[in-house]
Amino acid sequence: MAEDAYLLFLGCMIPLRHPQIELAARKSMENLGVSLRESSEFTCCPEPWNMKASSLEKWLLIAARNLAVAEKEGSQLLTLCNGCFSTLTEASHLLAQNKGGIKEKVVKDLSSMGFSYSGKTSVHHVAQVLCGMEEKRVLASAKKELGGLKVALHHGCHLLRPSEILGFDDPFEPRLLEEFVRRLGAEPVAYRGYTDCCGRATLNRDASLEMAEQKLSAMEKEDADCVVVACPACFEQFDLGQVEISRRLGKNHQLPVIHICQLLALAQGEPPESLGLERHKIAIKPLLAKIGE
Amino acid sequence: MTKVNPQFAKKMSQVESALDVRYCFGCSACVAECPAALRFKEFNPREIVISTLLGVAENLIEADSVIWQCATCYKCYERCPQNVHPVDVITALKNISFAAGNAPEGVSSLHKAVLENGSIIAPSEAIQKRRAKLGLPAFSHATLHVPEASGKGGE
Repeated sequence: MAEDAYLLFLGCMIPLRHPQIELAARKSMENLGVSLRESSEFTCCPEPWNMKASSLEKWLLIAARNLAVAEKEGSQLLTLCNGCFSTLTEASHLLAQNKGGIKEKVVKDLSSMGFSYSGKTSVHHVAQVLCGMEEKRVLASAKKELGGLKVALHHGCHLLRPSEILGFDDPFEPRLLEEFVRRLGAEPVAYRGYTDCCGRATLNRDASLEMAEQKLSAMEKEDADCVVVACPACFEQFDLGQVEISRRLGKNHQLPVIHICQLLALAQGEPPESLGLERHKIAIKPLLAKIGE
Repeated sequence: MTKVNPQFAKKMSQVESALDVRYCFGCSACVAECPAALRFKEFNPREIVISTLLGVAENLIEADSVIWQCATCYKCYERCPQNVHPVDVITALKNISFAAGNAPEGVSSLHKAVLENGSIIAPSEAIQKRRAKLGLPAFSHATLHVPEASGKGGE
């Protein structure tokens, strides 16, 4: 089926820092019968905080180049990262809007780089694909009940907002990923500051860590067994972040952090030892114990 | 004395069509849930928008400007009843600040890395080994050749 084939857009952080997330995504997609293709022509999406902050024009041009690569391959894009998702989605939106003739300018620059762009490529976050999938199909791939595992979902800002452009879910009261983890037999917990930012992009590191710490405290207060993220930047902020929080803020948390694709791979019965989870800074063992591994 | 630059708002339109900034009626909906405003009393998205509009924003584009504390959470974008999109105004200010050479070091080095390597992370031998151990293929990004003239509008 054509709609089940994607060109995998890996970005930077997942393949080059947290490849265990890529592995879980590849395995879980294969288990669902989603086929993934690759391209060696992609670059950084580019990163939507600092690259966008330095030059909107260059940010847009590089994003358009990646979209043009996908167009050449004739395929829709699949991202595992909120940064890649928001950059590529917003860039398509800006080009379609074509305010002040920006599209013509980008098309001209792209053609000097050897690419053509018409705007055909659609961009999908893996969370969208999973939430949009038929329940029976998800259940058919999930061999293992998660036994009411209490999951603190952290969607990440750039999966939810700006909602009129990204179009994933309600920007303040999301429901879709909640429904998805319920299907897997986990229990999403509501906690204070549910759709707040992880703090990753804030320059002042103490303030940034305080933002993450506030969320972790709220999650623990609701007895969450783990944090489930949809983005490698949020992942790093919560996982490595807990080590930094302990060192810089003197507050100790031990809440395992996993990507939604890792939760899915576990639910599909992939052996935890085959998923490279030992690279996480916060030990995953308590989470595995909860699901009988 | 604060210098007023009536042309400042026009600078904004060079990097983005931020004309909607004029529709701000100062309601502070953008401030209520701003995580940066909560932690830095000198960071206030409403004041940033109004200063930009009134042309008293030169201090916001200087080195060590408070604009870099924006978490880019886009809550202000969603909450603004006037579609001003304060986060976009702040991004436009960051572009102006970067072009003037006033951006934090981390931003400049990331910008350089993307243009030179097509990536924010250099593919080390260690990571390729880790990938191989996980059964993943070697990974690298394509080389970028961004035309020199591109991005002139914002710089």
